[in-house]
Amino acid sequence: MVDPLQTSLRIAASGLQAQSTRLRVVSENVANAQSTGPASGADPYARKTVSFESVIDRASGANLVEIKAIGIDQAPFKLERDPGNPAADANGIVKMPNVDVLVELADMREANRSYEANLQVAKQSADMLNQTVALMKDA
Amino acid sequence: MSIYLFQVASQKSEWLSARETAVASNVANANTPGYRALDVQPFLAVLNTSPLAMAATNLGHMTPTLSPGDSLREIEANPSEETLSGNTVNLEQQMINLGEVNRDFSMTANIRRAFHQLILSALK
Repeated sequence: MVDPLQTSLRIAASGLQAQSTRLRVVSENVANAQSTGPASGADPYARKTVSFESVIDRASGANLVEIKAIGIDQAPFKLERDPGNPAADANGIVKMPNVDVLVELADMREANRSYEANLQVAKQSADMLNQTVALMKDA
Repeated sequence: MSIYLFQVASQKSEWLSARETAVASNVANANTPGYRALDVQPFLAVLNTSPLAMAATNLGHMTPTLSPGDSLREIEANPSEETLSGNTVNLEQQMINLGEVNRDFSMTANIRRAFHQLILSALK
């Protein structure tokens, strides 16, 4: 049987990994919030989305978490009139990315909060293991 | 008497470790669509329903121990706590459970240490 405390550590590690991937995608979205297409009238950067899924760890039966897919947001692009822009089409309309920075910031906060919670679990599991080991010290 | 106490103490630490695993998987899956929050059976239930003990007729026989998978149950979710994606994890509640597990685990470890010292001082 796998030690439950070590299993907890592995679960927390999977959570940390999933949340940091989420943060990576958020930063990609924020960084590309103004990225227009490469040519006149081309599609700009499309917002990426992350979805999680619960995965059963075969060795311990624990519910790990993994990234299910990094998808593309199908929302329509914002249209702006800017004839001077190299990406503008014949009518002077530029397609801007469908990224809403406010939404991304909210997502970032949530990822941050979940990351902290996972870190707390990992710290405590390690602490409990240490307490068990410490029982043998003063015997 | 004291041997019985040690047995209860190690059962309690096993139960707390299993509970820690449940909290860990809830926290890790706090954003997973369709995930239902888990917890372990209350410790009293574990103590009362200890399975019919198999006779250990040989020193090498092992007694069955608590495994985290057996005692897991789903927490009945309050409908208002369920998110649109079908997730029922409440992070605040999980943090409270985490604190409880930590305190109880320290207490169990300290009680065990105290009794160990009592036995040692009787021997000296």
